[in-house]
Amino acid sequence: MEFTLNTIRKVDNDQAREFAFGDDKSLKEKLAIVILNPEDIKQLNVKPGSIVKIYNDTGFVNVKIIQDKKVPLKMAMMPVSIWSNQLTRVINNDLVYKNIEIKIEADDEPILDYKSILQKIKEGS
Amino acid sequence: MKRVPCSGCSLLCDDIIVRSDGIFIDEVIGACIKGKEHFDQVIAKNRITNPTFRADHTLKKIDWNQAYIKAIELIKKAKKPLLYGFSTASCEAQLKGIQLAEKINGHIDSNSSICQGKIIEKSKSVGLTLTTIGEVINKVDLIILWGANPAESIPRLLNKALFSRGKFRMTGREIKTLIIIDPVQSASFGVMGVRDLSLLIEPNKDIDLIRVLKEECCATDSIPSEGVAGIDKDDLKRLLLHLTGAEYGVIVVGQGLLKPTGDSDTLQEFLELIEMINSRQKKGRISLIMMGGHYNMAGFDHVALANYGQSGSLNFINNQLEETETNTIDKMNNEDFDLSIIVGTDPISHLPANLSSKLMKHPIIVIDNKKSATGDVADLFLPSAITGIECGGLSYRLDHIPIELQKIIDSPNNIPSDEVILSEILKRLTDGGP
Repeated sequence: MEFTLNTIRKVDNDQAREFAFGDDKSLKEKLAIVILNPEDIKQLNVKPGSIVKIYNDTGFVNVKIIQDKKVPLKMAMMPVSIWSNQLTRVINNDLVYKNIEIKIEADDEPILDYKSILQKIKEGS
Repeated sequence: MKRVPCSGCSLLCDDIIVRSDGIFIDEVIGACIKGKEHFDQVIAKNRITNPTFRADHTLKKIDWNQAYIKAIELIKKAKKPLLYGFSTASCEAQLKGIQLAEKINGHIDSNSSICQGKIIEKSKSVGLTLTTIGEVINKVDLIILWGANPAESIPRLLNKALFSRGKFRMTGREIKTLIIIDPVQSASFGVMGVRDLSLLIEPNKDIDLIRVLKEECCATDSIPSEGVAGIDKDDLKRLLLHLTGAEYGVIVVGQGLLKPTGDSDTLQEFLELIEMINSRQKKGRISLIMMGGHYNMAGFDHVALANYGQSGSLNFINNQLEETETNTIDKMNNEDFDLSIIVGTDPISHLPANLSSKLMKHPIIVIDNKKSATGDVADLFLPSAITGIECGGLSYRLDHIPIELQKIIDSPNNIPSDEVILSEILKRLTDGGP
C-alpha cells in the first residue's frame, strides 16, 4: 500500500535520550517504529506490534507498527532516527524528510538492530 | 538554591531553580521533561568521560595529550576538512570552531543551515519581522503554530506564550487565540480551546494556502468557495480575519513549513505574505519565531555574521573566506571533504543514510558531551563538558536574545568544554606541533 511518510520528533521516542540513558535494545524498541492510522493497519492486514517492511526508491527498513487514530489516513509517521533515515533522501542538495512517498507491506523479516543498521550504512547498501 | 538558565532546548528558560553543593546537583525545580533529562545527562549511564581513538576497529581510551596529538595528525592529513554541528555549543566555542576552519582551510556550517537558517537566508531578499518572548508574553493576542509542535519539541514555549499573563494581556489565555496549521493532529492540539482554530492542512499544500492568503489577505469577501488545501471556506475566512485583525500576532515556524517543497519556494512566499500583511495592517503586526530546537542554533548565525559577515556555510581557502553557494549538504553529497569534525550533533542519526554512508568513508572527529551514532563510528571521540551545567558560555535564545549560561558543577573527570578543546587544537596547530 502507498503512504506518505513524515519523520517527526516525539518526546517519548527521542534518540538522544536512548543514547544517553538506554541501550541498543531500547533504542530499537523506541525508534524502529512506524505510526499508522488503525484503518490503514486493517487495510494492511496486520496488527499493531507487527513488523512491516517500508520501502521506496531510496531504501528499505523493517519496523514495528504503532497505531494512533490521530494520524491521517495514508500517512505514516516515524521518529527521526537511523531507521527512518533509510527512507529520507537528498534532492537538489536539500534534505527531504517529510512527505516522502513510500510503500508498506507485511513482512516476517526481523527489525535490524542498531549495530546491524550502522553496518548497513557503512557498507552503503 | 540558585536560579540558572536551562540549556535543554532553544527556549533557554531562565527560571530554573537548582539546589547544588557545587559537586552534585541535588534538585532541579521548574524544568520541563526535556530540561530535567538535560540535567540528568550529567550522570547518564552511557556518558563518555575519556577521549577514545579507533584502533583495530575498536575505540580505545587514550589520555588528553594523546587525543590532541591524534586530532592534529588527522587534521594535518586532511586537505578539505568539513566542520559541522555547533548548535549545542556556546558562542565562544562556535567562534573557535570558525577560527579553526579558517586555520585549516575547512568548510564550516551549523545545523541551522538545514533548519531555521533557511529563513534567515530567504530574509536577505524579503525581510523578516521577528519578536521576542518578552513581547509575546506582554502583547500577543494571536499565536499561530505553522508546522510546529512545541508541546513535544520546546515543551515550555506554550506556557510562556499562551498561558502567561503580560503587561497588556492581563487576562492571559482568555484573550489569546491559538491557530494550529498542521497536517497531523500533534500533541500541541491538546491545548486548544473552543475559540481556537485547528486547521488540518493537506500534506505539502502549505504553498497553496500561502498563495490564497497573499491574494485575499485584504479582501475577505472573495475567498474561494471550495476552500483550499483541505481547509474549508469558513475556517479560511477566520484565519484571514485573525491574520489581518490581530493587534500582535506571532507565527511559530516549525519544520513542517521549513521542509523542501520541490519547485515552489514556500519560505520566500511565506515571508512575502508576512510583509504584505504588515504593510497593510494599520493597527497591528505579525511577527515570527523560528523554532530551532538546539539551544544555541541561533548563536552560530550571529557569531558567523558578526565576525565573518556571513551567517552560515563558511568556506575557507588560503585562510580567507571564500564566497560560495555550496552548503554542507552539497559537500557531503558530492564527497567534497576528506575529514569531518562534528561538534555536538549526530549527523549519522539525523541525515539520510546515503549521506551518512559518505560521512563514514572518511575519518571523523567528534566533540560531544553525549553518546551518539556518530560518536560510535568516529575515529576520535573527544568528550566535552555540558555547557550551562559544567561550564558557562553565551547562547542565543530562539528569539535571538543572548543569554549567559552558567557553570553549576565541575565536569566528571575534569572534561574540558567545547571551547577549551577547540582552543587547544587551534593552539597546537598554530604552534606547529602535535
